[in-house]
Amino acid sequence: MKLPSLLQAMAIGAAVLPALAAGFDAEISGQAVKSIPIAVTGYTGEAAQVLKFDLEVLGFDVVPAAKAQFELKAGAGSEVQGTLIDTGNQHPLFARSYPGGSVRSQAHTLSDDVVKAVTGNAGIARTKIAYKADLGGAKEVYVSDYDGANAFRATEDRSITASPAWVPGRLALLYTSYKGGKPDVYSHDLATGARSRVFGFNGLNTSATVSPDGTRIAVILSKAGSPDLWVSNIDGTNPRQLTTTKESESSPCWSPDSKTICFVSNRDGKAALYTISAGGGEMRKLSTGGILNCTEPDWSPDGKWIAFTRAAGEFTLYVVPAGGGDATAITAGEDPSWARNSRTIVFTRGRDRARRLSLLDVPTRRVKDVNRISGSCSQPSWAR
Amino acid sequence: MNCLTKLGLIALLAVVAIGSGCSKKPKNITPIPNGYNGSAAPGSDLSQGGALRGGPGNSGRFTQPTDTAPRELGIDPSKAGGSNELPSGNLRDGKIEDRETFKANTVYFEYDKSAIKSSELAKIAAVAEHLKSHAEASLAVEGHCDERGTEEYNRSLSERRALSIRERLVNLGVSANRVTTEAFGEDKPADLGHDESAWSKNRRGEFILLVPPSLK
Repeated sequence: MKLPSLLQAMAIGAAVLPALAAGFDAEISGQAVKSIPIAVTGYTGEAAQVLKFDLEVLGFDVVPAAKAQFELKAGAGSEVQGTLIDTGNQHPLFARSYPGGSVRSQAHTLSDDVVKAVTGNAGIARTKIAYKADLGGAKEVYVSDYDGANAFRATEDRSITASPAWVPGRLALLYTSYKGGKPDVYSHDLATGARSRVFGFNGLNTSATVSPDGTRIAVILSKAGSPDLWVSNIDGTNPRQLTTTKESESSPCWSPDSKTICFVSNRDGKAALYTISAGGGEMRKLSTGGILNCTEPDWSPDGKWIAFTRAAGEFTLYVVPAGGGDATAITAGEDPSWARNSRTIVFTRGRDRARRLSLLDVPTRRVKDVNRISGSCSQPSWAR
Repeated sequence: MNCLTKLGLIALLAVVAIGSGCSKKPKNITPIPNGYNGSAAPGSDLSQGGALRGGPGNSGRFTQPTDTAPRELGIDPSKAGGSNELPSGNLRDGKIEDRETFKANTVYFEYDKSAIKSSELAKIAAVAEHLKSHAEASLAVEGHCDERGTEEYNRSLSERRALSIRERLVNLGVSANRVTTEAFGEDKPADLGHDESAWSKNRRGEFILLVPPSLK
């Protein structure tokens, strides 16, 4: 880092970080924190729309200038420009221009810069999600921007496709497809369209997810006679059975260091969260403070939290410390997937085959729906 | 470095690249490239020069995936032969589906349970008798759930239900090698309603008889 930008970053950090960062970890499982008031002035059309959406997802409130702690001012150029001002002392934090790309991507880049300048954390406005869409018959996997824009239909098998999971750091997915008549796991390179079957044993092959270090796959297979947790090499070879319960396991996710897997088992009758070493060993129940019917865990990339769905008549999102403890109800919904900022979650809400994807800012509890495609959407996976 | 040396070096590099590529490549699998046509990771700034720049212009790559032939990963020989182990071959090969014969034998389950209710035992026994007297037939058991669980939980639960039925068949004397399971979770409801009347019809196991075409 060059000296001026380092000094600038330090100055920004000293000035504004306490506003958000101080109580972040304490607040994620406690009461909602307050949004940061920001004025966004001089923008029109798509740029204004994108900036407002992005900033509100990341814990800002877009307010009139008189009530704002920060002001983001448009410039005169044909491309998106922005000057971010701390309204307390009227000091500019940055003044930038965003040539190239679409207005949409220029505005996303600017909002990422605002998030970085105010919170010190990298933005997520240019990340991708994948999800399952029920088109009223066929169920296909889609890929879109995090806000639902630029949706692509990644599969066109006119079958059931489900449980998409990004390969970390790659433009590639694993998912479950019934194109062969039963649930098999496929690997799909989105850049080339190349696809291969990774698990095609008799019985169940599903819920595949790649370790953050990219070397292994955790997957649910029933080939040994029960739906168990297995771990294989990244290409599906050498599958090793980690659990041997008579009951069913589901929904594995990895710790960020790729050493531990959290998953669901109803070994003791009711669905609960368990952890196990990725190399094998005893499965250990994760304490969720007495909350029962826990499913769909997802481990935050900073390693601190596990988000999950409590399925008890209604679906509710919870967050629990990764080592176990009291789980905190966050909002109604199911199937959480963390963004790389360990702050934002994409999840499913709504029922009755009319489900939609929403974005949750955990600290402020704000929920915003992503742009919808037609059909019922579920099982989101956030690329990270 | 003169031109000739350069050419030689390039040729040598090419040979090394091809050689190492071939030696690691398994048969019948489309290799998964290490990168893609861009510099950014999917978690990062794809709009800034990543493979998806321009969005809709790339849709062809997404909608026309190329399939590769499936492969058998094999089964641990030390585990083969157990009655709960699923068969390794494809029981559907050379067979056609008969969904009618055992339509009335669909097995229903309690909410969030995979145990067979006593009311359902006779239905399974009838299927077992048929299989014992029709050696040419195989069977697929489809497991299903209502929509009240989460999706992947339901996919596993529906497999557990199908496996419970399969275990019952095996206990009644049907060879384990003739019965496979297919889990659909909540993705293929029999009744599209959203009340207990619909849910109770959706928590089920269906029998699909697999028979040689000539005998159908």
